[in-house]
Amino acid sequence: MGLGLLASRALRSSRIIRNSTRTIVSTPELKNADAAAAAAAAADAPSDLPKRNPVGGARVHLPNPDDVIEVFVDGYPVKIPKGMTVLQACEIAGVDIPRFCYHSRLSIAGNCRMCLVEVEKSPKPVASCAMPALPGMKIKTDTPIAKKAREGVMEFLLMNHPLDCPICDQGGECDLQDQSMAFGSDRGRFTEMKRSVVDKNLGPLVKTVMTRCIQCTRCVRFASEVAGVEDLGMLGRGSGEEIGTYVEKLMTSELSGNVIDICPVGALTSKPFAFKARNWELKGTESIDVTDAVGSNIRIDSRGPEVMRVVPRLNEDINEEWISDKTRFFYDGLKRQRLNDPMIRGADGRFQAVSWRDALAIVAEVMHQIKPEEIVGVAGKLSDAESMMALKDLLNKMGSNNIFCEGNGMSPNADLRSGYIMNTSISGLEKADAFLLVGTQPRVEAAMVNARIRKTVKATNAKVGYVGPAADFNYDHEHLGTDPQTLVEIAKGSHPFSSALKNAKNPVIIVGAGVFDRDDKDAVFAAVDTIAKNNNVVRPDWNGLNVLLLNAAQAAALDLGLVPESDKCIESAKFVYLMGADDVNLDKLPDDAFVVYQGHHGDRGVYRANVILPASAFTEKEGIYENTEGCAQITMPAVPTVGDARDDWKIVRALSEVAGVALPYDSLGAIRSRIKTVAPNLLEVDERQPATFSTSLRPEVSQKVSATPFTPAVENFYMTDAITRASKIMAQCSALLKK
Amino acid sequence: MSQILKRLKVPPNSASLEEARTRTFEFFRMCCRSIPHVMEIYNLHDVVTPSQLRSAAAAEVRKNANITNPKVIDMLLFKGMEELMNIVNQSKQRHHIVGQYVVGNQGLVQDVSAKDRDASNFLKKFYSSNYS
Ligand code: SF4
Ligand code: FES
Repeated sequence: MGLGLLASRALRSSRIIRNSTRTIVSTPELKNADAAAAAAAAADAPSDLPKRNPVGGARVHLPNPDDVIEVFVDGYPVKIPKGMTVLQACEIAGVDIPRFCYHSRLSIAGNCRMCLVEVEKSPKPVASCAMPALPGMKIKTDTPIAKKAREGVMEFLLMNHPLDCPICDQGGECDLQDQSMAFGSDRGRFTEMKRSVVDKNLGPLVKTVMTRCIQCTRCVRFASEVAGVEDLGMLGRGSGEEIGTYVEKLMTSELSGNVIDICPVGALTSKPFAFKARNWELKGTESIDVTDAVGSNIRIDSRGPEVMRVVPRLNEDINEEWISDKTRFFYDGLKRQRLNDPMIRGADGRFQAVSWRDALAIVAEVMHQIKPEEIVGVAGKLSDAESMMALKDLLNKMGSNNIFCEGNGMSPNADLRSGYIMNTSISGLEKADAFLLVGTQPRVEAAMVNARIRKTVKATNAKVGYVGPAADFNYDHEHLGTDPQTLVEIAKGSHPFSSALKNAKNPVIIVGAGVFDRDDKDAVFAAVDTIAKNNNVVRPDWNGLNVLLLNAAQAAALDLGLVPESDKCIESAKFVYLMGADDVNLDKLPDDAFVVYQGHHGDRGVYRANVILPASAFTEKEGIYENTEGCAQITMPAVPTVGDARDDWKIVRALSEVAGVALPYDSLGAIRSRIKTVAPNLLEVDERQPATFSTSLRPEVSQKVSATPFTPAVENFYMTDAITRASKIMAQCSALLKK
Repeated sequence: MSQILKRLKVPPNSASLEEARTRTFEFFRMCCRSIPHVMEIYNLHDVVTPSQLRSAAAAEVRKNANITNPKVIDMLLFKGMEELMNIVNQSKQRHHIVGQYVVGNQGLVQDVSAKDRDASNFLKKFYSSNYS
């Protein structure tokens, strides 16, 4: 016993001794940082340093040679434009500075102090994100002082941060976790109680665990600067500081999901994804969003056959690095209401599952019994270019030319590409200084385009005039009127807003695709053309005349020439082929018409269908989609198809063979070469193809605009198509957040 | 029946191809003899006839008709015996028997309809799955 006691005493006393010399700095040479720094400075006299590349392969654009300054990062000289911060200079030199509060798309807060670096001749380390780089500055990012500073900041941040990592959804993709591994100390000295903060209810999308918050205020800045809602804010001071909504209130922004991505810790996480999966078990597939016409770039994270979440992908020209809440959270709709077997409606009105062979045989037989001009094909809003091409070819082979895409109206103008795409391009909107929005509410029709307009309005104080029903905007705008008469006034120049357009250098007119469904659409477009002509909107160096489309399929459908022969084709149809078309109005369809529904969700189209052919959703197939600015992009299959479903174009191809009019392609490559002969621009993937001619070639119209006010094109932002209507999260959102 | 089968021992290797051949016939006969019992215990009367099961067993044997190495034949016989024992001892369930010997490998969807003999490769693949 005596020996053991002695030993334990010895141990204890030695521990006491250790404690007295124990410092947070774990590497010995850091204990005397200044001396080590001096030694290092004396030692380094770098002559030829290897060439370094900027972080993330970024390219540096030096617009004006006079405004270029040179700084030294770790002894390596870099040329940067004036006005850049020290942190940006380091990034160009290829050094990634740790940071929490700095975000390149938000204003600078400088409150986390993680980005401290040493600058020669400055007495203290400086916060590089907030410090402008000055000519000849010698920045050191790798010195003992900088390391010690980071270690100290990490210790303060971790003081009140809970040790939650095993149950935290951010675990594995958490900035705090990564940086404390890289820069933090190997032990903690904090023995008191940690602070705790009440969780806030931000609505059905964002889950909060506010104790984890490190007060970087990124979310606050995002909400007020990008989303344009002053919902979030900072309350209290010191250790009482909290992020909150001031009063008990939900976050009502269509971009609110992005705070999940920008929050560097697990304080703001996705509510629908909570505790569903760990991010390292997910397989990412780079794909395209199809819930609106913007074509946001997304990554679909899947586990096995299930889509677990959707996160944005960077694309400066389209969605920057944000996506709308609909894009981010509609994915649970992919698991509900799916069609998985071919079905035929029996005499008793019930559907019965049959084999593909029987289903196709019946459709082919019926199709042959019907006069060619009574066959109508409707492409849905989620159709890809390949399947629309196949359907058009099939119908043409059957002798019918009545095919159209829902949302384009019955007499679309498909001849001039400039007449239906966004000619300015989404990123080009940033150059504009006056906007005229005609019958469009970009906030609900295309949230990412709206974010661009808002960015422009904030940066350049651009004027926004709006003609349409009362709507919700998150930037300053003038409501000019509700009906097309206002357009005529502006065209004549008698409206006060015409002077604003006239004085603008780069005016932009955006016409909503809701106008396509109006009876006086030609007159409205003529009035818009007149406004454009009078105000120099279309010039050789600037094309500001835009159409904002609503659905992912629209632009490609018009490029492929999906235009019905007669605009009364539905009334006289005997055979209707709905390819995912759920929103087409079938009230006028004769009762004895035979309806085939090919699609992935049991939605509105199925109620009237006689035969159901199950197809794959956009997460399960490869398909070309063209967005509203005319940029073709490809979706990639992330998960396998459900049940006995097949890809859309394959169904059409198989049906054509069963019907005895086999289409001449049987692979994706072959169908794409067919598309190339019709619309070569659809194969220029990820490359925006501008329209060649401007609208001045349009024929004269004698139609007069009517006095019917414009109507909103999108009733409910959260539910616009078959997938979003099947989504439970979207249903919750519309119940709680729809204003 | 099962009592007899239980007492079966693994026989020593066949010396010649001739011996292996006799053993194979013996095995097949044993299969045929157990078929009525199998029909009874798995209640197969309404899905299959004894002759169908017999031809299923024969097909299994014929699958390996080209093998000439007596050692390999012995191994296959052993496996066949094992399978037979599993069936007779009711170590399997009804759906195993139905799936393997009644419906067969081609599955419930019978692809051989007279109509699409002249169908293109595309259509044949289309009927079987979305992939490939
Ligand atoms: S909630 Fe997240 S983003 Fe907002 S201040 Fe806290 S840590 Fe930063
Ligand atoms: S990143 Fe510089 S202070 Fe936060």
